[in-house]
Formats: sequence, C-alpha cells, structure tokens
Amino acid sequence: MIQLTDVQKYFYRGESREVHALKNINLTIEKGEFSLLNGPSGCGKTTLLNAIGALDSVDSGKIYLDEKEITTLSEDERTLLRLNEMGFVFQSYNLVPVLSVEENIGFIMKLRGFDDDVIKNRVHEVAELLEIENKLQSLPNTLSGGQQQRVAVARAVASKPKIILADEPTANLDSKNSIALMNMMRRLNEEEGVTILFASHDEYVIESVRRIIKLNDGGIVED
Amino acid sequence: MFRLILKLAWKNAFLRLSRTLLVVIMIAVSMSMMLSIQGIYDGMTSNLIDKTKRSDCGEISLYNSHYRLNKNLDNVIKDAKGIEASLNERPDVQAVVRRLSVDGLSATARKSAFSSVVGIELDDEIAFGRFDQFLVDGKLELGKRGALIGKELAKTLKVHVGSKVIFSTQDSSGEINAMALKIRGIMQTSMVLDRSALYVDRRHLERFLGVSDTVATQIAIRTESSTLQATLQKAYPQLSVMDFLELNPMLKQMQDMMHIFNSITFFIVILVVFIGILGVMYVSVLDRIREFGIMRAVGMEYKYIRREVLLEALFVGVVGYVVGAILGLLSLLYLHHYGLNLSQFSEGLASFGLDTVLYADISPIYFINTFLAILSASLLSVLLPLRKIKHLNPIEVIKAET
Repeated sequence: MIQLTDVQKYFYRGESREVHALKNINLTIEKGEFSLLNGPSGCGKTTLLNAIGALDSVDSGKIYLDEKEITTLSEDERTLLRLNEMGFVFQSYNLVPVLSVEENIGFIMKLRGFDDDVIKNRVHEVAELLEIENKLQSLPNTLSGGQQQRVAVARAVASKPKIILADEPTANLDSKNSIALMNMMRRLNEEEGVTILFASHDEYVIESVRRIIKLNDGGIVED
Repeated sequence: MFRLILKLAWKNAFLRLSRTLLVVIMIAVSMSMMLSIQGIYDGMTSNLIDKTKRSDCGEISLYNSHYRLNKNLDNVIKDAKGIEASLNERPDVQAVVRRLSVDGLSATARKSAFSSVVGIELDDEIAFGRFDQFLVDGKLELGKRGALIGKELAKTLKVHVGSKVIFSTQDSSGEINAMALKIRGIMQTSMVLDRSALYVDRRHLERFLGVSDTVATQIAIRTESSTLQATLQKAYPQLSVMDFLELNPMLKQMQDMMHIFNSITFFIVILVVFIGILGVMYVSVLDRIREFGIMRAVGMEYKYIRREVLLEALFVGVVGYVVGAILGLLSLLYLHHYGLNLSQFSEGLASFGLDTVLYADISPIYFINTFLAILSASLLSVLLPLRKIKHLNPIEVIKAET
C-alpha cells in the first residue's frame, strides 16, 4: 500500500519564481489497484508519479510504501528501493539497444540477483502473457513501437514489483497498439495482482482504469 | 551479473564501429611507431656498447694502477702473460686479450695527428670480439709493417688502403723512435678508437718499443659474471680492475639520455592514447546519457554502470594494444633483421661511432610497459565520463524525453 500525507513540492526557477508543483497531496493507493493520475499538461501528475516512485524528492509531507517512509531515504537507498519494489514504464520505451528482448526483460531480475533459470522461466512466462514470445531473440530496434512498449512493460513486471508506475505509456502508440497495451496491462493486474498507477491524459487509459485521480494546479481535485 | 556487464561493455564498445576503429587505429599506429623508435634507440645504444666491449675493454679491463693517469711504458702490467694464462683457466671468463698500447704522432707527407698504436694478436682479437667484422675496407692482416687504421683517423690523415704512415713515439729507453707502417685495412670500431687507433702486430710493437713479450698495457676480459670484478680486484690488488661503465662514462650518459628520449616518446604516445579513449568514451557516454539515466531510474546501482564504462574503455584500449603490439612487433622484427638505413647521414653517424644501418633491439619489457601504460590511460580516461554519469539526475533524462 502507498500512502501520501500532506506532500508538497516546489520547483524553483531563478531566485524569486517558484512553482508550487504539488499542493497538500493526501492519497492512498491500495494493493492491486489499477489507477490513473489524470489532468491537463503541467498539473503535476508526472511529478507526483516520480515522487511516489522515489525518483524525485518532496519538500514536505511523507510518502510511505508498505508503512516504510521513503521520503527520508538516501539516494543509494532510493535506487535500491526502485530496483526491489518498483517497476517503471516510460513514454519512450528506453530499452537497452545492444541487448536482446529476452535480456531486456530479464535485465532488472538480473540486477536483483535472480538465478539464470528463474529469470529464463519468468521471462518466457511474461513474454507469453504480453504476446512477444516469438520476439525474444530480436534486438529492440527490429520491433515496432507497440512491441517495444510491451517489452518495456514485460521488463517492469518480470521481477514482480509491488507497484508499476507508468508515465504516458501510450503516448507514442497508435490507437490499436494503445488498446492492446492497456488490455495486456489490465490482464497483468488481474492475473498477477500487480498494482499499477498510470499518469496519462490518454482516453484509452482513462477507459481502462478502475480509479481516476484528477489533478489540477498541483492539487487533487477529484478522486 | 558480471557476464551481463561484460556483454554490455563489449557490445557498446563497438556499437559505433567506425569511431571505435578510428581510435583503435590511432592507438595501434602510434604504439607501433613508439615501439620502433624505442627499439632503434636501444639498438643504437647497445650497438655502441657492444662495439666498445668487443673492440676495446670487454666487460672488465685490467691496468697497471698508474697507467690510466700516466700512460707511459713504466706503467705496464709486468706479468701480463701469466695473468692472461690464469684468467683463461677460469670458467667465468669467456675470452681474454692483452694489448700493448702507446701514444704518439702519426704522420703522412701532408697530415699528422695524435694517435695510439695498439699492439694486438689478430686471432685473439677475433676470438675476443669478432674483430674481423669491424673491417670496412682492405684486408684483415698485419704482418711485419702492416697496420689497420680507425676510419676517422684515416679520414683525418687522408690515408687509404696502401698508404704509408710514419708513427713516432718514445721507446722504453726514452728515445724518440719512428716506424713506417703500411695501411692494410680500415676498421670501424668504437668512437674513441676510431679517431685514434692504429693496430699493429703486438710482437712487432714489443720489438719496436724494446719491451719484454710478457708485458701489456691492458688485459681485457669478456664475461657474464657480475662478481668477477671484485674477485679479480682481490686477486690482483696492485692492478686497477675496472668494469665497462667505469671505463666509458660517456656511453653510460648516452644510455641514460636514450632512456629519457624513450620516456618522452612513451609519454607523448600514452597522452595521445589517453585523449583518444577519453574522446570516444565521453562522446559514447553523452550519446547514451538517456540509457544511463533510465538504468539509474529502474534501480541499477552506480557501481555496475561504472564497471561497464571501465570495461568499455578497457576493451577499446586492449584491442588497440593488441593491434599495436602486432604492428609494432612486425616493425621491430623488420628493423632487427634489415635495419634502418641512414647512409645519407653516414658522416654524422660515423663521428659518433655509429653504423649507417641502425638495427632495433627487441625486448619483452617494451610490450609489458606499453600494456600497463595503455591500461592506466584507458582507466584514467573514463574518470570524466563517469563523473558525468555519477551526477546524472534520472528525472532530468525522463523529463527530456517527454
């Protein structure tokens, strides 16, 4: 479970200009949720997603992951937290170009020290679920955008993180691939029980999720 | 995990093949040139040292303890023949020669020059230092009035094979005496002897000077033993037992100077390698800054990224080294067997006692030193790119992509 209490975040632009990016955010994301941070551009959804993902710090307030406060962790501790507890899917697929699809999917498991056999089995399992099992030996640059994003999702989900944070995962996909990706992520959520939190204003994402948290000017306006 | 890092490093090192190949070629060419220059420098020095040892003092020379300060016939080694015989029986002595040398004036009808006549036994000299190989013109024979002359001295006196030279000096009774010598051959030996020596038959010189056939001014020894000098000094306390370096401080200085030249060349090449790898690695890291940012974002610890970048630089450096070592070895082998022909500079080279064809030395230490230096240059060259990655904020990278 993720819990945010009175989270505030400012961006400083020059000495006097500051932007209040997150205003008194109080939010709870339960285990197994399939939720969305939604709102217009610049409303703070990516900032909030990054703060939850321990990618960015906050100026005040507290964020807990399974009752462990993550806002006070050091940079190294946050890196390990991201590795062990979280999975990320970005707008650009950000796969390692010199590694095969199989190696890309198993990359985080490898970093976490899983045995090769365990990695292989899990990679095949996830690849089958995301319908990319016939692309395992390919290099990322030989795949279509939709296939690359599925590999990125597979990489995020393979190590069974507590939560997957997906920032605009459909932004670079056409409608067919967007629907397919959201269907697959929903299946992952239902079959694997993974908590997934999106930040997006894409209608396909809005239609797929079970909970929508609306933000505006850095604050939650509707949940 | 290491296997994955290794794979990432290898593939990324050659991801931009033309760029990496350019650096590999740069390392290889500069390294092979450096090895060749090093080999030639060392070959030049060892050639000079070798010639001096073979034609003059060997590894160790024995003199009357007053001779080197006052080179007259009162300061000869009295029982040189006996000492030579006993030295020949020692297992740590490879060859021995005794020589009788006297300073005087050599003159032709038009020219004269200060010189030394060295009485030698040709067969002994050939066995001692392959004396026959120093002959550059004429025949290797002495006879009663025959003489071999140093190349530079021949130039000074403007003599050639068949010319006559009158040598005047003081004999053992103090009288000034002269002998007529006919030049049979011209020798190119060590720098000092080339400028001053006339070689004659030792027995003929003994009779001319009126000295016994048991005396000598120098006994030269070829040996590989490092303890022989001390042993002989104990056995012959009345004599000066001197090693090669004590007798030739100038050659020692030259050797040191060549080491400095080699070090400077070495430093320049390593600097080139360092800048080359730094350039490739820096551009490579900048090219993949997003990849590194994402790796950090998904939880890859900095230590693994550091290992990958270090290995990448090492791969580039080591591949450059291997190609450079092969090219360098081929170049050294060529220069070792066929030499570098510098006949257009023969005058200048001869004045330093050098041959016109310079042969390279080959030593494993060249390759070991270069390997260690390239290894260090490779590792140092990634410090700046690594600093960039260490201070990388994943958020900035993620923001930049959207």
